[in-house]
Amino acid sequence: MKGITKNFGTVVALDSVNLTVKVGHIHAIVGENGAGKTTLMKILYGAHPATEGEYDLNGTKHSFKNPEAAIRSGVGMVSQHYAIIPELTCLQNLILGAEPGRIINENQSIARADQLATQMGFAFDWNQTAAELSPGQAQKLEILKLLWRNATILILDEPTAMLAPEDAELLYAKLHELTQSGATVLVVTHRLPDVMEHCDEVTVLRGGKLIHSGPVNETNPTELAEKMIGLSIKEHTPTPSTPGNPILEVKNITIKGEKGEDAVKSASFDLKSGELVGIAGVDGNGQRELFHALMGLKPASGQLQLEDKDISNYSTQQRIQAGLRLVAEDRHEEAVIESWTIAENAILGLQRTPGIRAKQPALAKAATELFPTKFDHIHQPFKDLSGGNQQKVVVARTLQLDPKVILAFQPTRGIDLYVADLVYQGLIKAAREGATVLVVSFDLDELMTYCDRILVMNHGILKEVPTNLRNDRQAIGRMMVGADS
Amino acid sequence: MKFLGWKQIILALAGFGLIIGALIVAKAVPSEALSQVIEKALTRPAGWRNIIKEATPLLLLGCSVFLALKVGLFNIGADGQFVMGACGAVIVALNVSGPATIPLSILAGVLGGALWALPVGLIKAYRGGHEVITTIMLNNIAGYFTFYLVSGPLKDPTSQQPSTASIPATVQLAHIYQDKAFTINSSIIFAIICVFALWWYLKKTVGGYEISATGENANVARFAGINVNQLIVRTMSASGAIAGLAGALQVLAFEHRFYGHFSPGYGFDALGVALLAGGNPLAILASGTLFGTIAESTSVLSRTGVPKGLSYILLGVLVIVFAAYRYRKEAQRGTDS
Repeated sequence: MKGITKNFGTVVALDSVNLTVKVGHIHAIVGENGAGKTTLMKILYGAHPATEGEYDLNGTKHSFKNPEAAIRSGVGMVSQHYAIIPELTCLQNLILGAEPGRIINENQSIARADQLATQMGFAFDWNQTAAELSPGQAQKLEILKLLWRNATILILDEPTAMLAPEDAELLYAKLHELTQSGATVLVVTHRLPDVMEHCDEVTVLRGGKLIHSGPVNETNPTELAEKMIGLSIKEHTPTPSTPGNPILEVKNITIKGEKGEDAVKSASFDLKSGELVGIAGVDGNGQRELFHALMGLKPASGQLQLEDKDISNYSTQQRIQAGLRLVAEDRHEEAVIESWTIAENAILGLQRTPGIRAKQPALAKAATELFPTKFDHIHQPFKDLSGGNQQKVVVARTLQLDPKVILAFQPTRGIDLYVADLVYQGLIKAAREGATVLVVSFDLDELMTYCDRILVMNHGILKEVPTNLRNDRQAIGRMMVGADS
Repeated sequence: MKFLGWKQIILALAGFGLIIGALIVAKAVPSEALSQVIEKALTRPAGWRNIIKEATPLLLLGCSVFLALKVGLFNIGADGQFVMGACGAVIVALNVSGPATIPLSILAGVLGGALWALPVGLIKAYRGGHEVITTIMLNNIAGYFTFYLVSGPLKDPTSQQPSTASIPATVQLAHIYQDKAFTINSSIIFAIICVFALWWYLKKTVGGYEISATGENANVARFAGINVNQLIVRTMSASGAIAGLAGALQVLAFEHRFYGHFSPGYGFDALGVALLAGGNPLAILASGTLFGTIAESTSVLSRTGVPKGLSYILLGVLVIVFAAYRYRKEAQRGTDS
């Protein structure tokens, strides 16, 4: 790719970027939010036209007008937001738009689908509707969709954001196998450990400019991090917590899952004021159900006590008014209304608080200022913000108006290291000021870095990591997969 | 952002071309037709009176459809709710006497409309039945049920037609202005207040905020602590209540009785009124008046032999041009993000 420039209106998203990717390599594109990583990939994939510049593919000049043209030439992309139609089955999703013929031979299709899945080490029930897939599985399906279309250049946007460590390892191992058979993989990520361990080449973008490009083994994480953000990040040093009184006490809570199974089995724990507690675990082990039940979005048996009130029978709105806040997992479908402005979204959930309308502009402004957010004005549509900036506003919003219990599901999903650090600092600050914070993350390192206590969830069973194993990554990893007893 | 680009102008011209073509097919001279409309409908006090009369139910029903649309429901059933409201109002107006007859009659209309919409909301919220299907069915039920009533139990024995007796002059809504042929009935005040009240409710209150949130994305609304199912039932009923109010006013202000096939399709015109208003409730004032004007113009033309169906062509063109313009913008926005 030579001299790629992309303007969105007056904003220069990419400024004369040159990029060379070698066949058979895993090439990482790293950079902060808004650095232009995704935009660059979308240009390559034909989703955006480049304002200036051109790209060659195996020596011939190309300029894909749309993703369909790109995929015909073997370039495919899995974006951060999956293009899965929930009503269709996995198989229908897989072959959609690339059906083998006018009449679909289901058995043949399943045979090929199985073959592709096995090749990647995935397992799918092809007749399951896609709505039942966890985000992690949906992503695997997306990757298979590219292989189904015979893509030889795979672009993956934040592929491991939703995966457990083992799954991430497995994914990279399989990507390596693919590259050996001639495929080329471009990975957009901000997880530097992934880059160092699994990628061959790395390109750093910052503010739409190419900062660095070269083999991974000639660089190191500190250097990359500095290049990404333009300054060096401080290592986080945990401040000792002084837990106060219990704020939220959960007693023997059992929650039914989608298929009627016990998604959470008689879980009990308490959250004390002043502490940040993490729930480690592989995606799909009951974390989602637990958070939904705590917010009153899902029925549960057991008892919930907030300070001295029994809130087991409170509605979601009553729980919000009582001080519970949720950083929802899925921004688009749970947290914000994208067609609304930042200001309108700023009070979503707290709309029943008396006098909130008058405070709306101030709250919106404060929510954008808590973490450095790139935006024009608070009356612009929320969907005009980049994913990372959206997440910053969502997290900042939950820290407003005296939260007592903050439930954060993957609060740093899709945001870079520097801002992720700020987000955790914000959560820790809220805790130290008297609230309590419960975080679900699929990134164990993140939890080990920031949390005061760690709980582990495996098959709906919640256990606390003993204090003496608090820093033992291997031991916690064993607990996550239920291999500790 | 310009409101009119050259593409829209071409669209509008094409629309007018279509109308003129239709007039020619109907063997009318376009220029003559136009002068007829201007002379008889637009510059004559009686024409103004009729425009206001037509606009009154359209404004109210426009509000009804608009409100339902805001929570994400397409209320095709405003027509049936209008009919039930009118029928309820007539029953009270004929059988209750005393100073409170008018308010009670209006209340009966409001309740009739709300109750007719209630099952739509319940079925949508708790059983997932689509409101378009249920409202269409309820429209038919309302039509035939009231036709039965006015052919039997409620029939005025002295009348040849399936119709109730006329309501006493004391319970008819008064004109607020009268100058020979030009009259303005007080019911238009209700309609205008209703438009402003709807605007105020949707823009300024928590209830309106929650309705908009639910209409935009019901799942996000659930996460924001909004009881989505309850809100759908309440909003649908409120939509029906406004349609019922329109029915009651139609009886008390203009028709003074209830008869078979009471609605000439106001509920369906109201879909156009609400859609044409776009996102702004206050625009219902403009779109409702426009629809009223077109209705009066075609009724003038029909006296010169041009079929009434022409107005549907015109309205259809209007709604399509507007929808094409509006959704074109959305499609563009969609690819940008």
